[in-house]
Amino acid sequence: MRRFIISLIAALAVVLAVGGAVMAGSGGSSRVTRARLERSLPTVFAHVYTSQAKLLGHQGVTPESLHPTAMCDKGGAVEADVGPGSNWNCLVSWSDPDNPMPPEGYGKIELNVHSNGCYTAAAPSKLVGFLTLTDTAGRVVTNPVAEFDACFDPHGDNTSTGVEFPSLLAITTTALRPDGQSHVSVQVTCGTGSGGCHGSVTAAAGSTTLGTVPIDVDEEQTGTLAFPTPVPDGTAEVVFTATLTDGVGPAKPVTLPMPA
Amino acid sequence: MSAGAAAVEVVGVTKTYAGLVAVDDVSMRVAPGEVYGILGPNGAGKTTLLRMLFGLIRPDSGEIRVFDRTWADDDVRTLDGVAGFIESPKFYPYLTGRQNLEGLRLLDGTGLPDRVEEVLDIVDLTGREDHKVGGYSYGMRQRLGVAASLLRSPRLLVLDEPANGLDPGGIRDMRALVKRLAAGGLTVLLSSHHMDEVEEICDNVTIMRRGSVAFHGTIADLRTMAPDPGHLLRTGDDAKAVVVGRLRHPDIVVEPSPDGGLVATGSERGLAAYVADLVHAEIPLLAFTPTRTPLEALFFMLTDAEADPPSRPVVAGACR
Amino acid sequence: MSATVDDRPEVHAALAATRGQAGLAAALRWETRKLRAQLRSRALLLGALLAPIAVVVVVSAQSRPPKDTLFGRFATENGFAMALLVLGFASQWLLPLVTAVVAGDIFASEDQHGTWKTVLTRSVSRSRLFWAKVLVALGFGLVALVVLAAATIATSALVVGRQPLTGLSGQVVEPHSALLLVAAAWATMVPPLVAFTCVALLFSVWSRNAAVGIAGPVVLGMVMQLVGGLGGIEAVRPLLLTTPFEAWHGLLASPRFTGPLLEGCTTSLVWSVVSLATAFLVLRHRDITGG
Repeated sequence: MRRFIISLIAALAVVLAVGGAVMAGSGGSSRVTRARLERSLPTVFAHVYTSQAKLLGHQGVTPESLHPTAMCDKGGAVEADVGPGSNWNCLVSWSDPDNPMPPEGYGKIELNVHSNGCYTAAAPSKLVGFLTLTDTAGRVVTNPVAEFDACFDPHGDNTSTGVEFPSLLAITTTALRPDGQSHVSVQVTCGTGSGGCHGSVTAAAGSTTLGTVPIDVDEEQTGTLAFPTPVPDGTAEVVFTATLTDGVGPAKPVTLPMPA
Repeated sequence: MSAGAAAVEVVGVTKTYAGLVAVDDVSMRVAPGEVYGILGPNGAGKTTLLRMLFGLIRPDSGEIRVFDRTWADDDVRTLDGVAGFIESPKFYPYLTGRQNLEGLRLLDGTGLPDRVEEVLDIVDLTGREDHKVGGYSYGMRQRLGVAASLLRSPRLLVLDEPANGLDPGGIRDMRALVKRLAAGGLTVLLSSHHMDEVEEICDNVTIMRRGSVAFHGTIADLRTMAPDPGHLLRTGDDAKAVVVGRLRHPDIVVEPSPDGGLVATGSERGLAAYVADLVHAEIPLLAFTPTRTPLEALFFMLTDAEADPPSRPVVAGACR
Repeated sequence: MSATVDDRPEVHAALAATRGQAGLAAALRWETRKLRAQLRSRALLLGALLAPIAVVVVVSAQSRPPKDTLFGRFATENGFAMALLVLGFASQWLLPLVTAVVAGDIFASEDQHGTWKTVLTRSVSRSRLFWAKVLVALGFGLVALVVLAAATIATSALVVGRQPLTGLSGQVVEPHSALLLVAAAWATMVPPLVAFTCVALLFSVWSRNAAVGIAGPVVLGMVMQLVGGLGGIEAVRPLLLTTPFEAWHGLLASPRFTGPLLEGCTTSLVWSVVSLATAFLVLRHRDITGG
C-alpha cells in the first residue's frame, strides 16, 4: 500500500510536470477568445430572435434578414479579451424594421463564458423583452432571446472580425449635490465599446455656462466631471450636453434638478 | 517431453525479497512417479520454492523445469499436467463449490469430460457443492482445493502443507488419498513441517533450512543419519534409576528432564537392557515413551528448529 | 474422501490429447460468470435503469427549470433537452463511478479473496486473464452506459415529450433529428468512458485494493473537472480526461463542429493505452505472494 501511494505521488508529479510544460509551451492561452465569440453570438442570436419572432407572429424575420454583428469585450479596457469569465459583454447590432436599434446602434448582451466554450447570454429587456412572453395563441411561454445557452467551436476561426462599436457614455448622477462654493460635479460611465469615451461635457444653468470639461474615460470605466463656475443662486436645474469625438453620448442633453 | 525427463528439476534457484534471501541456490530433482517431500520449519522457503514452480513468483536466478518445460520458454504450458495448491486453497466466496470448480475447469482449457461430480465425490463434498464457499469450513475448503487439483487429472500433484488445519481424521484421509494417488502413478511433491508426515509417504526428501538445502536424499539415507532416540522415563525412584544407569549402562545417557521424570538416550538395545535392569532392581517403571522419532530428532538437528517439549504427542498436526 | 480416483486409461488418453491452454474465450466466459454472480454488478445495472427514471420524473415536476446547467432551461418542457441535461450531469459525476465499480474491483478482488494463486495455477496465462478482465470491465461499462442512455432517453421522451429542440446555436432541431443527435451525444461518452475504465483497471492492478480502485478514478475525475473549469490554465484542458465528456456540444451546434470530438478520442486513446500498458506490465511482473 505504501508502495502504491509513493507511485501515485510520482505519477501526479509527472502529470503536473507535463501540464506545466504544456502551459509554458502554449503561454497558458485559452480557446475562449473575442473573435470566436464575435462569430458565435450573432449566429445564435439570429436563431433565437427568429424563434421569438415566430412566437410573436412577426412576419418576415429570418436569420438571414437580421444581419447581426457583434463586438465582444472582457472586463473593459483593463483586461485582455481572452479566457472564460462572467464579465464578457457583447454589443450586438441587427436589423429588424419592426424593432429598430437605439441611437447608439446596438444592444448590450452580457455573457458568462465557461472554459469549455459554452456560454449563457442575457439580452437587454429593452430590446428583446422579458423572460416570458405571450405568444400568438395567448400562452405565456419562455422568451427564447431573453436568456439563452450556446456553445462555440473552440477550434473555430480566430482571426479578428473587425467589428467595432463606439462606447456609450452615460451620466449616472441622478441628483446634484453642490459643494460649499456651489460647484457641481457629475459622474459619467463609459460603456463597452472600442476606444473609450473622449470629448467634452458642457454644463449650463439657465443662461449661465458652468464650464466645459474634457472627458477622457476608458471603456467600462467611470469618471467624475467637476465644473469650475459656481451655480448661481436660485437655479432650478442644470443641463449637461456631451460632445464626443470617441463614443456616443446621450441623445438628448441631460437635465438634473438642483436641491432645494 | 523427452523420455526419462524429471518431473521437476530445480537448478540453482535463488529468490530474494527486500534484501532477505528466501530461497538460496536450491537444486533438486523429482523423478516421475515418486512422492517427494520438502521438509522444513515455517519460513524455510518451501512455499516460495513451490510458488516459483507454479510461476507465481519469478526466481532471481536459476531455472525450474517441470516435465522439461520452463516458464521462460513455455509460459503457462509449463503447468500442463500439474495441479496443486499453495498454502490454504482460496476460492470465490460468492460462488458455490460447484460453480468454483466449473469456472476453474474453464480455465484449464481442456476438452475433458466433466469430472466435477466425480472429484466432488472423491473429496466427499457431495451434498454441499451447491452451497456458497463463503460458508465452508476450513477443512471443506481444503478438500475443495484437492478437488480443484484433481479436476486437472494431473501427472504431478503439488501440495503445500496439505495437513495444515485439518483434524486428525482429515489428516488420515488426506494421507490415504495421497498414497492412493501415488500408487496410481501420480508424481507428488509435498511440503510439510512434520517429519512424520513426510516419513510416512515420501520416497525422497529435501530438508530446507533458512532458504537452502540442509539435506537431500532418500528416507533410508535419512534413517541411517538419525541420532539415537530419546525416551521419557517415569519411575518410582528417579534417583536410584539414574544411579543404575550411570553404574551399569555407560553406553546410554540418563539425566533428569526439566519437565520431571528422566530422559534416557542411547541405542535401542542399550535402552532395552537398561529397562530390564530397572525392573530387576525393583524400581517401579511407570512410563516409557519416545520423546520424538529418530527422524524428528534429525530434522530438528538439521534445521536448528526450536525443539518441542519432550512430552509432545507424536501424532503431528493436531494441535494447530 | 473415500471414493476411488479416476485412473482409467481412457481418461488419461483423453487428457493427453486435450491438454492445452485456456483460450481468451474461456477466460472471458469465466470472468463474465463471476461478474454475473456478484450482487454489486447486478445492482448497478438496475440502478442505471431506474435512477434516470426517478431523476427525469422529479426534475420534470419542478416548477422552475434548472437553468444553470446546459439544456436545463428547456428540460421541463422538452424531452430531448431533459435527456441532454441528464447526460451533462451523468458525464460529470456518474460515469467514472459507474465503470469504476466493476473495473476498479476486477483485479483487486483477486487480491482480496487471495484467488490469484487459484486461477494462475490453472492453464491460463497472466496475459490472457488480464485481457479477459479488461474486456469484461469494458463490456460492463458499455452495457451500463447503454442502459443509462436508453432509460434516460425513453423516460424523457415519454414523460416530458418530443417537442422540437433548441440547439446550442439557438437553431430549432426537428424531433426526428433531435432523437438521433441525443443518441449520438450519449454515444460520444464511449471514448472517455473506456479511458476511465482503463484508469480504474490500472488503479485496481496497482493498488490491489478495491476501495482505491473504485474511488481513485472518481476522485481523479473530480479533480480534472475542477482543474478543467479553472480559468488561466486552460492549456491543460485537452490533456484532461473529463474534457471529452463535453465534446458532444459540437453535435448540437449549427454548423456542427467535431474538433473537440476528435481531440477527445485522441486524449481518451492515449489515457487508455498508457493505463492498460502500465497495468499489464505491473501484473505481468508481479510476484504473487499473498493468498
